[in-house]
Amino acid sequence: MGYATFGEVLEFAIGRENAAVDFYRELSGIAAFAAQKSTLAEFIAMERGHAAMLEAMKARGTVKLSASTAVDLGAARRVEATDRPPAGMTFQDILTAAASKEARSFELYGRLAREAGDPGIRETFERLAGEESRHRAYFQDLYEREVARDN
Amino acid sequence: MDIKDIIAPFAVWKRAFEKPFTVRKPIDERPGAPRYRGFHINDADTCVGCGTCESICMNKAIDLVPVEGRSPSGGDSGLRPRVDYGRCCWCALCVDICPSGSLGMSNEYLWIDSDPEVFRYVPGVDPKPWDGAELGYRRAEGYRLLDMERVPMPELSHAEGVKSFLELVKGYSREQAEREADRCVACGVCVASCPAHMDIPGYINAVRGGDLETGLRLLYETNPFPEACGRICTRACESACAIGSGGDPVAIRWLKRYIADQVELADYGKSLPRAESATGRKVAVVGAGPGGLSAAYYLALLGHKVTVFEKDEAPGGMLRYGIPEYRLPYPALDKDVDYIRSLGVEIRHGATVGKDPALAKLREDFDAVYLSTGLPSAYRLDVPGDEHPRVLDGVAVLAAATRGEELGLGRRVAVVGGGNVAMDAARTALRRGCEVDIVYRRRQVDMPADPEEIREAKAEGARLIERAIPLRVEDSGDGGARFVWNEAEMVQKEPGKRPVPEPIPGAVVTERYDSIIAAIGQGPELSYITEADGVEVRRMKPVTDRTGRTSVPTVFAGGDLVNEKKDAISAIADGHRAARAIDRILGGRGD
Repeated sequence: MGYATFGEVLEFAIGRENAAVDFYRELSGIAAFAAQKSTLAEFIAMERGHAAMLEAMKARGTVKLSASTAVDLGAARRVEATDRPPAGMTFQDILTAAASKEARSFELYGRLAREAGDPGIRETFERLAGEESRHRAYFQDLYEREVARDN
Repeated sequence: MDIKDIIAPFAVWKRAFEKPFTVRKPIDERPGAPRYRGFHINDADTCVGCGTCESICMNKAIDLVPVEGRSPSGGDSGLRPRVDYGRCCWCALCVDICPSGSLGMSNEYLWIDSDPEVFRYVPGVDPKPWDGAELGYRRAEGYRLLDMERVPMPELSHAEGVKSFLELVKGYSREQAEREADRCVACGVCVASCPAHMDIPGYINAVRGGDLETGLRLLYETNPFPEACGRICTRACESACAIGSGGDPVAIRWLKRYIADQVELADYGKSLPRAESATGRKVAVVGAGPGGLSAAYYLALLGHKVTVFEKDEAPGGMLRYGIPEYRLPYPALDKDVDYIRSLGVEIRHGATVGKDPALAKLREDFDAVYLSTGLPSAYRLDVPGDEHPRVLDGVAVLAAATRGEELGLGRRVAVVGGGNVAMDAARTALRRGCEVDIVYRRRQVDMPADPEEIREAKAEGARLIERAIPLRVEDSGDGGARFVWNEAEMVQKEPGKRPVPEPIPGAVVTERYDSIIAAIGQGPELSYITEADGVEVRRMKPVTDRTGRTSVPTVFAGGDLVNEKKDAISAIADGHRAARAIDRILGGRGD
């Protein structure tokens, strides 16, 4: 998978944010009660915000994101197993799924950065990876505070 | 008469034209003795602003005043003593009594200024040349006007206690309670730290004076669970206690228990207020835990008809189903609940709101609704294999123990987590004859459980395995489960934040257990709130204002479901606060 231009890279990233919106919307469709839906609605709004931010960067032609990665708190390590929480999903299920999604995006952008030949494209992917690591840290921090309080 | 005597008065006139001769100090270089009682010094960081110095000063020379840069926080009033040297007699009683030992006196005794106002200052805050003086008066080593050691609480020994579910703490006798109450300096710093703002100095004074009726009345002003809180309260008050700044904090919790234990339920009515005349208004409370019943009590006192909807077969919530009886015996809890019931509060058991009745129905049938459903659902271990049948939920284990059910834990048990639920589950398992390992991801010092609970669990025989990150659970093939964890080291990843456990590569440990009890945290059960109810929920918590009111004006929420503290006393305080707010919307004064 090669990305020749800055615009293509941003388009790809925007596509991933929109996919995240679809993911949470799909989960919201199977949610069994209002509290789940409101949590998912919050995450949908967050992902929409990310997509809008990337759209703005694409229009400007520059990525104003720090490439430094956020700390991995190590919570919610169960990355592969949480793609589709059940209908009776708890806050733990939702947060684990969210943290896993962000972790996968972080890993993907990191890999694409390493594979990129063009220094400009590499830097863009690195900055996107940094941003995803911060999103992951946000969910991990929430997980530590709200779910694993006694762990 | 000598001629000089005649001339002398004229001769002095020449002095009138000379420059007057004065010295900057009347005495130069005559320092005070090494233990001279000179101007005060105070280590403002060690001082907790308790005001004991102010209380003991017989000349009223000390006032506690606010100072810039210090605000009240747990265990610190934010005030500091200001000394008025127009009144001070340098007796140093203030130094001798100071619980934290922050106050001293320098050996400086000279201070000349034409402005009398400056001789009143806040030592340690207003800079003075003698700040940090090595010499001067200090309280002698070992000399204490206050008794800094707590009256020991009679308890069962660990060896004895672990054999049964008998209550460990026996309670103070009258003589012991009065002696312990005598240690209180009535500074009141504790009041601010208590979520319910109980009148702690007031009820301790009542113990001291043997006036238990007044003591009970003061307890019930802000807390209708004195028997329960007298045993299991997280006692933020004791952490804040000024005496604790230099010795053992006053045993506030045990003194509360003493009052409640001494007064028979039948005599409660003699001390406690009667309910106001019926208002004709009806309030539904969802959840018969401490928060829900606290709201019910204060609402009933205000004359409202209260019905509590509870899914379990007995009232008390986590006080009954989450705290083992060796810490909180059921008769003690029942005494608190029975008094609340005696005010006409109806508790409907087996009522699962959301199923029967629906929240919408409650909103229709009642003038207001208070939601206090707590955190009943245990979170999973969140590792592969955590659905293994030998992985048990800590909250469910404790509830089964309360119901007297056979737990079937087997011989070897791992309890995963470091909170109070983990400690209670571990100690319950020990009492069922199990060998218990408590497996925790961080260090003992990081454990959120009450340190006393951790000490007790270890003393009763639990083995604490620190820095162990759960990896997975595997079937052992013999009816048990293998628990696999990675040993960790604590790494300071971000400055200012707490260290994070990082797995040590290759340091993987596998142990076989008959049961693995997950106690990493609990979450709410909110399926009873539908979208049509219109109650705004954010991150699985109803959004409330400071009175507990949700986005629906007649629906209130509180307790563990909403607050961050997640302990009984905070839930009780929430219930009281919401009761006053509900009373206001129902036309009352809210007091």
